[in-house]
Amino acid sequence: MKDVLALLDTHNDPELDELTENRPLASTAFLGRYAFMDVVMSNFSNSGINNVAILVKNHQRSLLKHMGNMSSWVSNTKTDKLTILLNENGILNPAYNTDLANIKENDYLLYDSSASTLVFENPHIVAPINFEPIINEHRERNEEITVVYKKITDGDSDFVGGYCLELDEDGYVKEFRVNDGSKKEINASLETWIIDRVALAKIVEESKKHSYSMGVADYLRYVVKNKIVKVHAYEHKGYARNFNSLKKYVEYSFELLKPEVASSLFKEDWPIFTITHNTTPALYGTSSKVTNSFVANGCVVDGTVQNSILCRGVHVGKGSKLNRCIVSSGCKIGENVSLSDVVIDKYSIVTNRHVIKGDKDTPIYIRQGAII
Amino acid sequence: MSNEMVAMILAGGKGTRLKALTSKVAKPAVSYGGKYRIIDFPLSNCANSGIRNVGVLTQYESSELNQYVGNGEKWGFNGVRSSASVLSPKQTEEGSSWYRGTADAIYENLDWLERMNPDYVLILSGDHIYSCTYNEMLQKHISSKADCTISVFPVPMEEAPRFGILVTDGNDRIIQFQEKPKKPISNLASMGIYIFNYKTLRDYLIADAKEDTEHDFGKNIIPNMMADKKKLIAYTYHGYWKDVGTISSLHEANMDLLRNDETGEDIYSIFGSNRILSEDVHSVPQFIGPKADVKDSLINQGAQVYGSVDHCVISGDVRIEEGASVRNTVVMPGAVIQKNATVENAIIGPDTLIEENAQVNVGEKEIDLIVNRKAAKL
Repeated sequence: MKDVLALLDTHNDPELDELTENRPLASTAFLGRYAFMDVVMSNFSNSGINNVAILVKNHQRSLLKHMGNMSSWVSNTKTDKLTILLNENGILNPAYNTDLANIKENDYLLYDSSASTLVFENPHIVAPINFEPIINEHRERNEEITVVYKKITDGDSDFVGGYCLELDEDGYVKEFRVNDGSKKEINASLETWIIDRVALAKIVEESKKHSYSMGVADYLRYVVKNKIVKVHAYEHKGYARNFNSLKKYVEYSFELLKPEVASSLFKEDWPIFTITHNTTPALYGTSSKVTNSFVANGCVVDGTVQNSILCRGVHVGKGSKLNRCIVSSGCKIGENVSLSDVVIDKYSIVTNRHVIKGDKDTPIYIRQGAII
Repeated sequence: MSNEMVAMILAGGKGTRLKALTSKVAKPAVSYGGKYRIIDFPLSNCANSGIRNVGVLTQYESSELNQYVGNGEKWGFNGVRSSASVLSPKQTEEGSSWYRGTADAIYENLDWLERMNPDYVLILSGDHIYSCTYNEMLQKHISSKADCTISVFPVPMEEAPRFGILVTDGNDRIIQFQEKPKKPISNLASMGIYIFNYKTLRDYLIADAKEDTEHDFGKNIIPNMMADKKKLIAYTYHGYWKDVGTISSLHEANMDLLRNDETGEDIYSIFGSNRILSEDVHSVPQFIGPKADVKDSLINQGAQVYGSVDHCVISGDVRIEEGASVRNTVVMPGAVIQKNATVENAIIGPDTLIEENAQVNVGEKEIDLIVNRKAAKL
């Protein structure tokens, strides 16, 4: 799509407890073979957007590692653009390390870029979104700002803590409300915004009068409340889940084990691209027993695995039993180990005969590199 | 800086004995091990050896293979000082002709070699499965001041008549070469892997091109060098090596990747410390369904298994539906095995559809090949 700059916004990443202690959610493992940012980057790529920038909040090492040589999502490695935007001032002032501050720091984007429309998407909300019809509608209607939302019926558990939209009869946002979980039927904001370049410049100017601690989402709320700009809403009808806590991370990951849910995220015409690692296919031994699980390449399974997600290069020894576990890449599970409701971070080792049982609602987390 | 050693991979053959598998694609592009194509092995070996420039000589059904090799990016040959070139037969001022033999294929691309101007040329086959580096072989070639070094593989004496057999003296110097001998006097089989001093090779290729011969390395170039008392050295390779000429040997080579509790061999011991690089397609994660039964198998990402799989190699984008049972079978990319079908001792070709309740090769010992491409239209 012409004149579009798409931004992967990592400034609003929620914390998934220890899982995101040393990495942004954007580069946190998702379903064994992806990172959350892959879904967003693939949305941009599949929508034909060839000018992309990443607003980096912190932990850039992990993010850059996942980006590899940056060619995983671009169509043409020479003509397409992928830019990394750092907010160096923000590192020392975490409270002021917002997406808006990052844009201010890199405001050449607004002045030099040929893009007339900017697209923001946050990686913790996983949704296959085609931006082409949204941007077309945004432009045809001459809107300044469009936000994408989904009508959900489980607002008492999903998207809690995020914004939901109250709409007027013309489809404009009357109010951005924080979802306090009191209603089941809400219009959940997907934290995905289409903003006209001039409107964004206005927001940046406006923000200079106020606190630098406000991000784009806060300003959208502000401009609606003060009737400065009209914000149009676009309804997304497909899969969308808000991975905003470790509990939700586990719940929604396992939910995708249901084929009918998985098929709403993995669609033939909407591939999810990711960096590749040249690992061998998964090897199952003669005594392995695996059901209802995602298994990434490089795994070697000799034990029993049920209702679980094994990331790249996980080994499960003979006689071991895993149920409802998410095992991050490079972990080694010894023999005759029993694990249920456990989330294991990268490169950990569980030696023979250990029994670890978490609870369905409070899975046990094992930190990166632990040896048990 | 001169280019120390370049590799040229002979990838033009049809592989007639692979039947329908190679009716539309060259043998080096045939799927193997769930995620690889056979040519990944020589190309990865080159990359792992630090060889920077590779020519891939293609001819038979070359379009899919040419597309796959591309600029060599999958094996990292798109970096600075590196290149991968697909070299197909071409039109010249003298007219045009197909490659008339292995030696002729190299001869026709002497212009490419001249531009590279290497000290040594490594000649490889595009259809052998083995994981190694060529550095030790090159060291031996240099230290023994050889004109040509041939990689050999010890085979059981009774199988020797199927191979080109080399006879060596106590210093590994080749003293006799027998092409498929009825009464072999050695068990060292030529692997079709040669290191030549470039300038020597060039002279022999030019001389051979003028003669009416088969233009073949084994039949012409090597015997001519022997006749001229050139120094030819054998380098003995120890490790896994398979020339997958037939359906049953392709099946066997796939099954070799599974865990063998007796020999302790599996994909990791066969690949060793070298990574085999390949194309990683953007398929969905591998999913093992709630009623699946998976054991003793190698399964690639993108596969969806709802049925039972025992002693199989399953490629990406394969779907095995509920109630289906697959045993001792290689399932190639995109194939679909529908509900309650039973498949035994087979190779299921790419995009092949096995319909509901079908019984394929059940109870038969001989490996069956099924290719129909019907799943591509699903």
